[in-house]
Amino acid sequence: MEFYTYVNIFETKGLEYLLLLSFLVLFILLVRYLSGYGKKGPDAGDKTSKTGH
Amino acid sequence: MSNAAVFTSEFSRVFRFFLQELKPRGKWLTPFNVISIPIIIVGLVILYFRFVYGLGSVTNLNQEFPWGLWIGFDVVTGVAFAGGSYVVTFVVYVMRNDKYHSIVRVTVLNGLMAYVFYAGALVLDLGRPWHIVNPIIGNSFGYNSVLFLVSWHFLLYMIAMFVEFSPVIAEWAKLEKVRKFLSALTLGAVIFGITLSILHQSGLGALFLMAKPKIHPLWYSEFIPILFFVSSIYAGLAMIIFEGTISHKVFKDLIGDGNHKRNEEIVLGLAKGAAITMFVYYFFQALLFVHEQRWNLIHDFWGYWYLVEIIGFVLIPCCMFAYAVRNRNLGLIKVASVMALLGIILNRLNVSVIAFRWYAADHYYPSWQEIVVTLMVISVEIWVLRWIITRMPVLSKH
Repeated sequence: MEFYTYVNIFETKGLEYLLLLSFLVLFILLVRYLSGYGKKGPDAGDKTSKTGH
Repeated sequence: MSNAAVFTSEFSRVFRFFLQELKPRGKWLTPFNVISIPIIIVGLVILYFRFVYGLGSVTNLNQEFPWGLWIGFDVVTGVAFAGGSYVVTFVVYVMRNDKYHSIVRVTVLNGLMAYVFYAGALVLDLGRPWHIVNPIIGNSFGYNSVLFLVSWHFLLYMIAMFVEFSPVIAEWAKLEKVRKFLSALTLGAVIFGITLSILHQSGLGALFLMAKPKIHPLWYSEFIPILFFVSSIYAGLAMIIFEGTISHKVFKDLIGDGNHKRNEEIVLGLAKGAAITMFVYYFFQALLFVHEQRWNLIHDFWGYWYLVEIIGFVLIPCCMFAYAVRNRNLGLIKVASVMALLGIILNRLNVSVIAFRWYAADHYYPSWQEIVVTLMVISVEIWVLRWIITRMPVLSKH
């Protein structure tokens, strides 16, 4: 009879689930962060003009 | 006048117009010409020896390392760089986002040129190049081969992209009725092209599935096709940003002031797409790293080299894109796009050349002739691209 004395998250899928959950959370945060682009307003114009565009 | 007479006179007009357009324009002694002309001449001489005396006479390829720089960079990397074409046409024609409409023509042209020259460079690398038509004409189709899929897709996708670009040629030749007819085909060609692209970008990755024992386990995965497909999206977006930056400097006379201002918004949108795609790609890599328990593989040179690729040229440019978009910093976006492109080169070369047979005593290094021919292919592509852009209504309607 086999006994499991502890759960090794490296051998189970535990770490993969954690990674996937963190991906979902971070993905939402990234999209929200990127969706705020342009909020800097008129000041941003100075920065873009320095790049030669 | 009869229909035949009208056709003949129209044909002779277009032919005369074409001959007129072939004449060179502008200055000859430009820095690019001075550098590229000797490269092209030396490259042609090398190709003469390659086709007369075989691959072994000019390359370091052998039975142990049959694929080198010409496949790893020209074909595998070049096709990833052309990914911007299917991404932008999808956004404009399928998603109906007109914001990017002004860059469709130049992006499709870049994609078409990349396929013609980089995928075309495959001919140079085949031991018996005359066999390249076999998958097409049915002489040993090889249904089970990934190369069968890739070769058909390359051919069909080049035709689809030519159809997408053909209204520009008709507009240039002042063939209004032909232009209207070809424009009507665009949406069909775009949908067909996107389908083909998704399949052959991943198909290029699938080529390496059969080489499992030969590819370092940090780069081999059964998900290589998905990784190749996802990375081709941000490779294409980064390439559009990089090429757009150069085009806006070199062809500034062809671009109106309005387009310059609109370009800022376009670059920010492309960078946003690149940041999101790189983020997804990075997590795919992280998930594979954990799933395949690669912990014990990162403590040697290959492990550090892998981390350089994934952290240095995926995670860092991803963060740079995101920060730059948020702060509207176009300079940082350009730096991030160059880093993303370097990351793609590194990844494709790692899979196909550098980490391929990593355990072998003798490693493959490209010969100087291979490097010159690669530079020749890039130079000729830029010459043709420049000729088309300065004559046809690619950047703006003439």
